[in-house]
Amino acid sequence: MEDILVVENVTKRFGGLVANSKVTFSMKRGEILGLIGPNGAGKTTLFNVITGVYKPDEGRVIFKGEDITGKPPHVITRKGIAKTHQIVKPFNDMTVLENAMVGALFGKRAHQITIGEAKEIAYQSLELVGLAEKAEEFAVKLTLRQKKMLELARALSAEPELLLLDEVLAGLNPKEVEEALEIIKKVKEERDLSIIMIEHVMHAVMNIADRIVVLHFGWKIAEGTPEEVANNPEVITAYLGDPRYALRFVRRKGGEGDGSS
Amino acid sequence: MDVSILAINLVNGFLWGIILGFAAVGLTLLWGVMKVVNLAQGEAILMGSYVAIVLFSQYGISPLIGGLVALLVGLAAGFLIYWALLHKLVGKVEKITLKIEMSTLLAMFALSIALLNFYYYIFGSEPRGFGLWSIGLPFIRVLGTTIRTNILLADALALISVTIVYLFLDRTILGKSIRAVMQDAQAASLVGINPVKIKLLTTVLGIGLTVFSGFMVLLFEASVTPEIAYKYAPLGFVVVVLGGLGSVVGSLVAGIIIGIIYGLSKVVVSIFNPRISDPVALSTAFIVLILILLFKPEGIFGRKR
Amino acid sequence: MTGKESTLSHYLKSPTLIVIVFVVLGILIARILGMSTLDTLMTIMYFMGIALSLNIIMGFAGYVSFGHAVFLGLGGYAYVLLVYFVKPLAQLQNMGFGLGAFLVAVLAGLFAAVIAASVGAAVLRLRGAFFAIATIGLDFTALYLMKAIVPELNPEQFFGAQIILPADKIVEKDVVFNAMFLTLIILLAVNYYIRKSPFGVGLTAIKEDEDAAEVLGVPTTMFKIIAFTLAGFFAGMVGALFSLNGGGVDETLFNLGHSIDMIVMIVIGGLGTVLGPVVGSLIYFELYDLLLVHYPGVNLIILGIIVAIVVLFFPEGLIGLLRKYKVKGVRLRDLLE
Ligand SMILES: Nc1ncnc2c1ncn2[C@@H]1O[C@H](COP(=O)(O)OP(=O)(O)OP(=O)(O)O)[C@@H](O)[C@H]1O
Ligand SMILES: [Mg+2]
Repeated sequence: MEDILVVENVTKRFGGLVANSKVTFSMKRGEILGLIGPNGAGKTTLFNVITGVYKPDEGRVIFKGEDITGKPPHVITRKGIAKTHQIVKPFNDMTVLENAMVGALFGKRAHQITIGEAKEIAYQSLELVGLAEKAEEFAVKLTLRQKKMLELARALSAEPELLLLDEVLAGLNPKEVEEALEIIKKVKEERDLSIIMIEHVMHAVMNIADRIVVLHFGWKIAEGTPEEVANNPEVITAYLGDPRYALRFVRRKGGEGDGSS
Repeated sequence: MDVSILAINLVNGFLWGIILGFAAVGLTLLWGVMKVVNLAQGEAILMGSYVAIVLFSQYGISPLIGGLVALLVGLAAGFLIYWALLHKLVGKVEKITLKIEMSTLLAMFALSIALLNFYYYIFGSEPRGFGLWSIGLPFIRVLGTTIRTNILLADALALISVTIVYLFLDRTILGKSIRAVMQDAQAASLVGINPVKIKLLTTVLGIGLTVFSGFMVLLFEASVTPEIAYKYAPLGFVVVVLGGLGSVVGSLVAGIIIGIIYGLSKVVVSIFNPRISDPVALSTAFIVLILILLFKPEGIFGRKR
Repeated sequence: MTGKESTLSHYLKSPTLIVIVFVVLGILIARILGMSTLDTLMTIMYFMGIALSLNIIMGFAGYVSFGHAVFLGLGGYAYVLLVYFVKPLAQLQNMGFGLGAFLVAVLAGLFAAVIAASVGAAVLRLRGAFFAIATIGLDFTALYLMKAIVPELNPEQFFGAQIILPADKIVEKDVVFNAMFLTLIILLAVNYYIRKSPFGVGLTAIKEDEDAAEVLGVPTTMFKIIAFTLAGFFAGMVGALFSLNGGGVDETLFNLGHSIDMIVMIVIGGLGTVLGPVVGSLIYFELYDLLLVHYPGVNLIILGIIVAIVVLFFPEGLIGLLRKYKVKGVRLRDLLE
C-alpha cells in the first residue's frame, strides 16, 4: 500500500529550543499510528508542522506523494488532513452544530457544498461522537469532555483522509476512554481513515495503534509495534525520566502483557 | 538650509517628546499589565489640565498645587473607572482573551465619548490655561533659541515622575508584583499574588499618572482645548507600541524619538512647502506606528511574546 | 442537492428579510408621501449605510476598526475630485435619475476599496487592539496627507482641505437620494448574503478563534482582506454620496466621530447580524435626536453612558439580546439574523 504520509528529517526550533530534531517516519494508508513521548517531547509541535501551523526549519512533509511543507494550514486541511487541538478551541458563541459545519464547509470539499449539505455532514459527525442532542447548544456550555468530542466532530466533518488526534482521551474516565476508542475504531472503518494519535493514556494507544513512534526531547527514539516499543529499554528510560508517566507506563505494560497472552 | 531652524526644531521635538513619553506611561502600564487599551487616554490627560485650570482660575490656587490635586483626582478617577467599568470585564478572568480585550476597548471608548463631551459642555472649545501666570515666567536661551521656563518645568516634573514610577516598579514589592502579573498573570496568581488587587492598583496608578501628565501637557502647551485629545491619544498609542507594552523607560525613550521625528520631518517638509509641514510631520508619526506594528510589534524595549 | 430550498416561500418565512423589506419600503414611502424631509431620510440612510459597511469587518469577522472613517473620507474626496476635474463624470452624475451619480460613487468606492485591499493585507495581520489602533493611524495619516495634498491641487480655489463643488457640478438632492437608496439596498443584500453564506460562517469562525478557523480550513487571510475591502468599498460609496449631498467635502469626513457613530450603532444593535446595524442605526438616529432636543449640550455625555451600559450589561446588543429568547417555543435565534 502507498504511504499516505512521509515525514522526512523534520527539525523545528523555537529560538534555542529544538522541539523536533530530524524526525523521520512514514505511515501507510489505513494505519493507526500512535505518537507518544513525555511532556514537552515535541508531539504537538510535530502535528503543527504537519498541518502547516509551523514551518519546519528543516525537512519535508509529504502527503499522498505531494510535498506540502510550509503550505498554509487551510490549504493542507483541504488536501485532506484534519487535526484536533490538545487545548480545545471551540467557537464558543456558535452552536455545536455550527462549529461542526465550519469543518464541513472548509474541509476536503470546501466550496463544493451548500450550507444545507454542510449541516447534514456536521450532524452526522455529531451523531458519531455522541453530541447530536447538544447540536443546538452553544459550544461554551459544553463540558471539557464534550468539547474534546466536538474537536473530533469538527475534524471529522472535514472528511479527511488523515486524522491527527492530539490527546482526545486525556481527562476522560476509563469508561469514557473505552467509548471514545470505540468511536475512533468505528469512524476509521466507516471512512477508511488513517489516524495518528498522540496519547498519554498508554494502554489505550497500545491497544488501538498498529505502530508507535516515540519522541523524546524532540528526537525519535523508537518506532515499531506496541510490543516492540514497550520492551525498548530506551523508551522505558525516557519515561522513567518523567516519574509521573513512568509509573503509569510500567503498570500498563503489565496489563498489556496479560491481554496479549 | 538654516542650521538654527534645524536646531530649534530638534530641541523643541526633544522637549516635547519627554512630555509625550510621560503622558504614555499610564497607557503602557494599563495595556501591558491588564490588556486594557485606554481609549479615553486623551480625556484622562485633559482631566489633569482642567483640574489645575479650574483650581487656578476659580479659586486662585497656585498651578503647582493644582498639579498635585490633579494627581489625586486622577488616582480617584482610576479607582472609580476600575470599579465602574473594568472590574466587571477583567476582574475575575484569568486569561484576557481577544474578545474581552475588545469589550474593555469599547468600554473605555464609551467613557471617552462621555468625558470629551463633558469637557466641551463645561469648558467649550476655547483654549484655556494659566493665562498671565505662564506668560509671566522668564525665558531661557539655549543654543540660540529661547525656551520658556514653563516648558522646562514641565519636562523636569515629567522626568522626576518617570523616575519615581520606574523605581516603584523596580524596587517595591507592590511594583514587582505588578511586573510579575505583566509577565505572566496565571503564574503570578499561582504564587499568591491577588490579581484583582493588582488590576485595581494598576488602574489607579495608570489613570492617575495619565491625569497627572495632563498637568505637564498644560504647562508645556500653555493652554488646552478638548481638541488636544485627538493629538495626544493617537500619539500615545504610537509611543506605547514603539516603546514596547508595559515598558516605562521604553515609553519615555519612544516619546523622545517620536518628538524628534516630528521635529525633523517638520524641518524637512518645510524646505519644500512650509504650509504643510505640520500635517506631514504628524502623518510621519503614524506611518512609523504602522510600520512598527507590522515589523516589530513587540516594540524597541518590549520582549517578544 | 439537499437542503437547498431557495424558494420564495422559504424567504418569506424569514423575519429578518421582512424587517429589511419593511425598512426599505418605509424609507421609500416616507419619501414619496413626503412624510419626512429629504435631509432626515438621507441622514437615516447614511447612518444605516456606514453601520452596515463596518459591520462586514467588525460585526462578522470581529475586527474592530476605529479608523473606518478613513474610507468614508477617501470615497468622499475621490468623488468630489473626480467630478471636479473630470468633465464627463460631472455630466454623467445627472443622468438616469441618480444612476449616473451611483456609477460615479462606485468609482469612488473602488478607489477606497483599492486602498483597503492594499493596506488591509498589512494591517489585518494585526489582531485586537493593535488592529484598532493601526486603523486609527491610517485614518490620521490619510487626514493629514489630504490636508497636505488638496491645497496643492488647485491653490486658487481650495482652502485647506476643503473643496466646495461649484453649482454646475452638483446634482439635485432627490437624485442623490435615489443613488443612496440604491446603494443601501445593495449593501443590505450583501450583508444578508454574507450572513447566509459559507463566507459568513468563515468570518464568524475567524471572530471566534482565528487560529482554529485557519486549521479547520478557513482561508483566514483572504477572507479578512475580502471583508475589509468590501467594508472599505461601501464606506467609500456612502462617503461619496454623503459629500455630493453636502455639495463638497472637507477633512471632517475623516473625523474619529464618524467611526464612533458606526461602532456605537453596531454595538447597540448587535454584532454579527444584519438586523443589528439596521436596528442600531434607527435607534441611534432617534436617540441622537431625542437627546439633542431634550438634553442639549449634555446629549453626547448621556450617549457615552448609554454605550457603557450596553457594553457592560448587554454586550450582544439589542438583537443579540432578543436572540436569546423563545417565543411560543420558537427560538428567536433562528429568526433574527
Ligand atoms: N509556540 C512555541 N513557542 C516556543 N516554544 C514552544 C512553542 N510550542 C511548543 N514549544 C516548546 O516546544 C517543546 C515541545 O512542545 P510540545 O507542545 O510539542 O510538546 P508535547 O510533546 O506536545 O507535550 P505535551 O505532552 O505536554 O503536550 C516544549 O518545550 C514547548 O515548551
Ligand atoms: Mg502536546
